[in-house]
Amino acid sequence: MNYDAIVIGAGANGLVAAHYLGRAGKRVLVVEQHENPDPSFDIGWVPDAIVRDLGLVGAGLDIEEPDPWITAPLPAGGTLELSRDIGRSTEAIRHISPADAAKWPEFCQRMRTLASVLERLYLVPPPDIETNDARELARIAGLGLYVRRLGKQTVIDLARILPMSIAELLDDWFESNVLKGLLGALGVWHLKQGPRSGGTAFNFLHHHSGSPAGVFRPARSNVTQALSKISGLEVRRGARATVLAKNGRATGVVVEKSGEEILAPLVVSSADPRATLQPIALELDPEFARAVRNIKARGVVARGTLALGTTPPYSTLCVAPSLDYLEHAYDDVKNGRDSAAPYVEVQRTNGRVELHVQYVAPGSHGDRVQRVAGVLKVQPNQVQLQPAEESLYHGELTLDQILFMRPVPGWSRYRTPIEGLYLCGSGTHPGGGIPGAAGRNAAREIL
Amino acid sequence: MKQYDAIVIGGGHNGLVTAAYLARAKKSVLVLERRPRVGGAAVTEEIFPGFKFSVFSYVVSLLRPEIIRDLDLPRHGLHILPLESTVTPMENGDYLAAWGDHDETRRELYRHSPRDAEAYDEYGRLMHFMAQAVKPILGMVPPDPTSFAPTDLFALLKLGKHFRGLGAERLHALVKLMTMSSADFLDEWFETDVLKATKSASGIIGTFLGPRSPGTAYVLLHHYMGELDGVFRAWGFAKGGTGAVSESIASAARAFGAEIRCDAGVAKVLVRNGRATGVVLENGDELEARTVASSLDPRRTFLQLLEPDHLPPEFVADIRRFKFRGSSGKVNLALDALPSFTCMPGIGRQHRGAFSISPSLDYVERAYDDAKYGEFSRRPYMDIVFPSMIDPGMAPPGKHVMSIFVQYAPYHLNGGWTDAKREAFGDAVVNTVESFAPGFKSQILHRQVITPRDIERITGLTEGNIFAGELALHQLFFLRPAPGWAKFATPVRGYYQCGSGTHPGGGIMGASGRLAAMRILKDGA
Repeated sequence: MNYDAIVIGAGANGLVAAHYLGRAGKRVLVVEQHENPDPSFDIGWVPDAIVRDLGLVGAGLDIEEPDPWITAPLPAGGTLELSRDIGRSTEAIRHISPADAAKWPEFCQRMRTLASVLERLYLVPPPDIETNDARELARIAGLGLYVRRLGKQTVIDLARILPMSIAELLDDWFESNVLKGLLGALGVWHLKQGPRSGGTAFNFLHHHSGSPAGVFRPARSNVTQALSKISGLEVRRGARATVLAKNGRATGVVVEKSGEEILAPLVVSSADPRATLQPIALELDPEFARAVRNIKARGVVARGTLALGTTPPYSTLCVAPSLDYLEHAYDDVKNGRDSAAPYVEVQRTNGRVELHVQYVAPGSHGDRVQRVAGVLKVQPNQVQLQPAEESLYHGELTLDQILFMRPVPGWSRYRTPIEGLYLCGSGTHPGGGIPGAAGRNAAREIL
Repeated sequence: MKQYDAIVIGGGHNGLVTAAYLARAKKSVLVLERRPRVGGAAVTEEIFPGFKFSVFSYVVSLLRPEIIRDLDLPRHGLHILPLESTVTPMENGDYLAAWGDHDETRRELYRHSPRDAEAYDEYGRLMHFMAQAVKPILGMVPPDPTSFAPTDLFALLKLGKHFRGLGAERLHALVKLMTMSSADFLDEWFETDVLKATKSASGIIGTFLGPRSPGTAYVLLHHYMGELDGVFRAWGFAKGGTGAVSESIASAARAFGAEIRCDAGVAKVLVRNGRATGVVLENGDELEARTVASSLDPRRTFLQLLEPDHLPPEFVADIRRFKFRGSSGKVNLALDALPSFTCMPGIGRQHRGAFSISPSLDYVERAYDDAKYGEFSRRPYMDIVFPSMIDPGMAPPGKHVMSIFVQYAPYHLNGGWTDAKREAFGDAVVNTVESFAPGFKSQILHRQVITPRDIERITGLTEGNIFAGELALHQLFFLRPAPGWAKFATPVRGYYQCGSGTHPGGGIMGASGRLAAMRILKDGA
């Protein structure tokens, strides 16, 4: 069997890339290391363009829209619940701070405008600022004009807010610790940074993209399952594959266990760039290899499930009662320990109750489960945690690792120095939390 | 009553630079200084009989060479003496030293890590180049990206071209420097912890950030900027202390015909019909001028010297949001004898350079953690120099002065600063030094402890921020001090800002003062 292209990984990005390539007439094989599909939902914005292009609604795409979207315990008892309706959230906030309630609608609108700029940048390859190509320069100028047309305030906000810390941004607006805590948590989401670290305001906006105004948690969907249901793709499961390259050219992949070589002139990897490129390091230019080694991808999140017996009375419960709480939690991991009091989020999704625990240090920590149970005031045997993820996003979403700096500076166009080898995972632009966007951008770049 | 062409509020180095340039252009200029001496935070004072101190700012490296040339400062007494070395004592009794001699530094590094010794040269070359690439920015008026004015568009295009001209590799390095933490940036180059700690410590000076906070890498460049001009080494002392820098600029200004009045604090700026017309002194005297320039920090320049209704409300909101958060203190000591450090016993050439108390990244980061929650660092980062070793005139024969820059000491201390807290802070500093140099405490004759609260009280710098406003990415360039007003003009006609709270800010650089003077002259003061 001859293939035009082999895609490594059957996650959302790999499948999206494969479908786009298939639709362009290429014979595509997808190789996936896991035997069974992951039943958990994808987290993040599924861009409309992908839903439309691939007919995902017909394939059973289910995007959860919980309302209220978050519940946070109040120190004096009771909870703060924020709804998809800005007016209702404003009323809820008024009970804890009239001043914050007054600012909530404008805050939501300003953040939405900024996220819309990111959304626009995310659906196309990153601007190539070194180019001399007139078309690319015109495209960059077009992006610039688009931003300017959004108004002076937006230009200033972009320049001011993106490098800021989420704590500074929230302190500019709000006084309530609970509100700042639950918003601040999104700023440090999957990041080895505390809310007082620069660039966390960007991370906040990144994870706001795709959500409506006033909703500050990424959507959850079965996009990967829907993508697997679309016909026309050959997927080989249980086949962990590495890239084959010779004389600076990709020649196919080799399946690790069997040693079987599958040849194709085009290899597209949705795996971690480091994992993809490391086996062929000898083929790489040392400077490029060094840049790949220098990708920061420090996982700080453990996920798991919570056994409650009954359906919880919330869709998402956030335990991050203040910015200081988050900052203290970060201090611990900075010093190489699990957070003594971690930020924990409980999400009811896809019929399960899932946990997000941040920050966890690398390695196993026996009493992690006890600490999480303590934070949630449940019994330890109700908490089940998976080992800490190395990095969900194949590269942290910090300002030095986005746009034309992702995955490594100068190689943001999904290409690699190996001819015929492309990257299409969340290690590439626009990064994690937007399932399929990198896959689509990469496929279009290849075509 | 005499009407001046220009009144400059504040006789710190930037105010003096503005005055000197205006006077050089044949304007009648009056500088008004609240304190009995010029200099602001760049002053030399005899705190204890016979012992002279650069009370606040204590090293010079960034003073713009064009200012030195234009104002002929050496003729007015400016003499910079090189600061030769930096020694970092480690907690295990070892040390890391950087000497004036490059080869010796390399050998020393090799002792710690052959790999780092190799990387050091390449790192140095890159940083030199980057510093060169950034330097033109320091001397330019920031264009306003929200404006559609042709001059702004043109300047933006020019800026874009400048950066593209660097080439891909250096452009990427620049983006990394602007966005990364100094710890992460140095991790890409070096493996020796104490080297990374000492280098990254220079990235946190004057900020309320730790070495692992993004945004601190950029300040690493500053170390390489001063060196470039061939005028100075990386850091130096002014003979006679940093006050001598201010005195030399003042002398140049006077030679051009400027008048400088001390003990003349300004209470208000006079505004008539939306135009600045002069100032009212604290003693009630009114002085008239066609142009008024304030070298005070943005909060004082706008919220104290003006009435709120002189300014658009959104501008007032921007200035209120401008962050100061002073984080550093200073301990000045008069010594009976020089201390001997465990890592390099005895008295020697190491005392002619700096001692950096930054034994590990964790040490510096922990110092920050204390401050983050409103306490001064129990074991702070310190930059220690002995000015009397370089300029013997600073202390009586056989005695010495010791200058300790300390971080972190947050302005907003839990429970507020009191005399007792100040002394406790001083004790923490002295005890930490003692742990690296046993016996040192018994050599102390006198001690002056300066908290951010004291910096504010004495120099007027809001919240004791040594840069007149934090040097954070979102407070730089066209955002310093507020979007739309980064070009030295203000919403009040005839009123200008010329202090470190404007682009490019901080350090004894003088660039703000010079650019402001250019702007005033261009506007036809």
